[in-house]
Amino acid sequence: MTLKVKFYSLFRINLKSAGTEYKLNSKITIAELIKKLDQDYDNYFTQKLLEEDRSISPGAIILVNGKNIIHLDKLETEITNKDTVTLFPPSAGG
Amino acid sequence: MGKIYEYKVLRVDLTNEEIKTEKISGELVKNYLGGRGLASKILYDEIDPKVDPLSPENKLIYATGLLTGTAASTGGRYMVVTKGPLTGTIASSNSGGFFGAELRFSGNDIIIFEGKASHPVYLSIMGDKVELKDASEIWGKPVYETTDLLIEAAGNKNARVSCIGPAGEKLVKFASIMNEKDRAAGRTGVGAVMGSKNLKAVVVKADEKQVEYFKDEMMKVVKKQTKILKEDGVTGEGLPALGTKVLDNIINSTGAYPTKNFQFAIFEDVDEVSGEALVEKGYLQSNTGCYGCPIRCARKTKLPNGRSGEGPEYETGWAFGADCGVNDLNAISEANFICNDLGLDTITAGATIACAMELYEKGYIDKDELENGPELKFGSSESIIYYTEKMAYREGFGDQLAEGSYRLADSKGHPELSMSVKKQELPAYDPRGVQGHGLNYVTSNRGGCHVRGYMISPEVLGVPEKLDPQELEGKPKWVMTFQDLTAIIDSIGMCLFTSFALGLDDYREIVNAGTQFEYSSESLLETGERIYNLERQFNLEAGILPEEDKLPARFDEPLPDGPQKGISTKYREILPEYYEIRGWQEDGWISEQKLKDMKIK
Repeated sequence: MTLKVKFYSLFRINLKSAGTEYKLNSKITIAELIKKLDQDYDNYFTQKLLEEDRSISPGAIILVNGKNIIHLDKLETEITNKDTVTLFPPSAGG
Repeated sequence: MGKIYEYKVLRVDLTNEEIKTEKISGELVKNYLGGRGLASKILYDEIDPKVDPLSPENKLIYATGLLTGTAASTGGRYMVVTKGPLTGTIASSNSGGFFGAELRFSGNDIIIFEGKASHPVYLSIMGDKVELKDASEIWGKPVYETTDLLIEAAGNKNARVSCIGPAGEKLVKFASIMNEKDRAAGRTGVGAVMGSKNLKAVVVKADEKQVEYFKDEMMKVVKKQTKILKEDGVTGEGLPALGTKVLDNIINSTGAYPTKNFQFAIFEDVDEVSGEALVEKGYLQSNTGCYGCPIRCARKTKLPNGRSGEGPEYETGWAFGADCGVNDLNAISEANFICNDLGLDTITAGATIACAMELYEKGYIDKDELENGPELKFGSSESIIYYTEKMAYREGFGDQLAEGSYRLADSKGHPELSMSVKKQELPAYDPRGVQGHGLNYVTSNRGGCHVRGYMISPEVLGVPEKLDPQELEGKPKWVMTFQDLTAIIDSIGMCLFTSFALGLDDYREIVNAGTQFEYSSESLLETGERIYNLERQFNLEAGILPEEDKLPARFDEPLPDGPQKGISTKYREILPEYYEIRGWQEDGWISEQKLKDMKIK
């Protein structure tokens, strides 16, 4: 079992990657996951997902198993090996 | 020169081939702005809402918005307003490109087509010369060829063409009107009304720009708003890069991506058909934009077989893709090109095939009826191409499909399998996964539609703020505000996509700058409310009753899969509150007093 992280939209195109996986020893929070991703992707995700005060950027979409973390515990939402985290930059259409 | 708040109207009597000019100004413009609003007021005042939409008694109105043709960002849109044949409601379909601005430049702000021509005709506006011309030679031709031939006949390669394809001529109930080949006034069957009048096209080339407004005042605002649009994450980055198809993975991930005629809410092959796939497969060539647009969300695409065009957009890709269970992006793009060239609304076309697939798989359509056509099975890429062509020409089984999913399913004894509201097919969001959007579906004045109050924006995308899609509290007010604001944006001729970055105060600022009117944000929003109420009143008088403010029974069943599994629609819990804050009666009707207060009657 691993934690799956999926990249979409400009993340996927700019990083030329559909995502990554982590094998975790214990639960972590989304804030900790972003730090982990930053180490692997040159600080890309803090810049794209967070404001300077480290709140979630308006319009950035972070889903845990399809649910937006804004309606869970925001950046403190806990995740484990069986979860899927999906990341989108601000996006719209219709 | 024409001041933007003094509308010049061309009244074209097709029966007698007479063209007159009139003017509209003053209170009517202040109360209804232009475009969708003003044209709806004209339609309400001039026709009996009970008329047969495809009879000569119906009127077809081309209307530019209040700011169309000015320097306003995205200010190039025109609307076609009429009584729609798919729904029987008032229809208003909105298109970008360059045609709308050119029409405004020509000094003709609104065209009212009346009656029915005795033979195929088109309206030619070349500078001051306005005339009806014979279209017998181009009748029957598809959109691309028609456009090329009419530009050639105009003798000016910069002439702009808005026309119907074979689908409009054959009175397909969801025929579109197309301009610049790929831009569509798509929904509600406006193209069929045009076809019923024997009107093939409108061609326009202005000699000089007859658009007068307070330019210096407006330019200051335009500069500011263009900067906002360019710096915004959505309008400045996401939409230019991926267009509307950025949504496939978002809506699928949240479990609201209708699959196989809304039987499921997750499409397992989404990675094959998404906006990202369009880039990764190399189909996307470049992005392009409409008149005055800093966003530039349109896609120029080219398929491995060499065929090229624009799109598919999110809704189109979904309708022919997930909704039909098809994972072949090549076939989906091909079906989109066919719709554009033959003049079909892509959402209803794809969703009607999806409905037919469910009817067929459940045994309600006989194989014999398909006349040797491919079997209508979910996942069949062959079917979506084959039946799209057949429905445009009303050939074989296509003749039944050309009536839309509701009439098709009803004729087979199973109207409940049509995923429509007021007989128009729902777009690409399962209302069980986004409760406010479900309320918008049932109260939309043109039936199943996402662009009358796009609640996906706050409920999924977090713009302007993130709302919980399953929370009901406060949603009626949000829906009403979005619906009224959208009516304003449509009536001033700007693109709805600007609203991802701009708000009510910005629209007030640009309208006031260009016209020197003195709207407050409240009085401008009240104008949107007036337009929404007038459309509702038209529908009520047409016999579309409040009982039809409802979703198909399928949505009372729980979502079968995805992160929102087990949830069903809850719109009934908030519909009474919506009526109340709208100031409507408990039964959904609008009181005479309210109509008087709103200056509708």
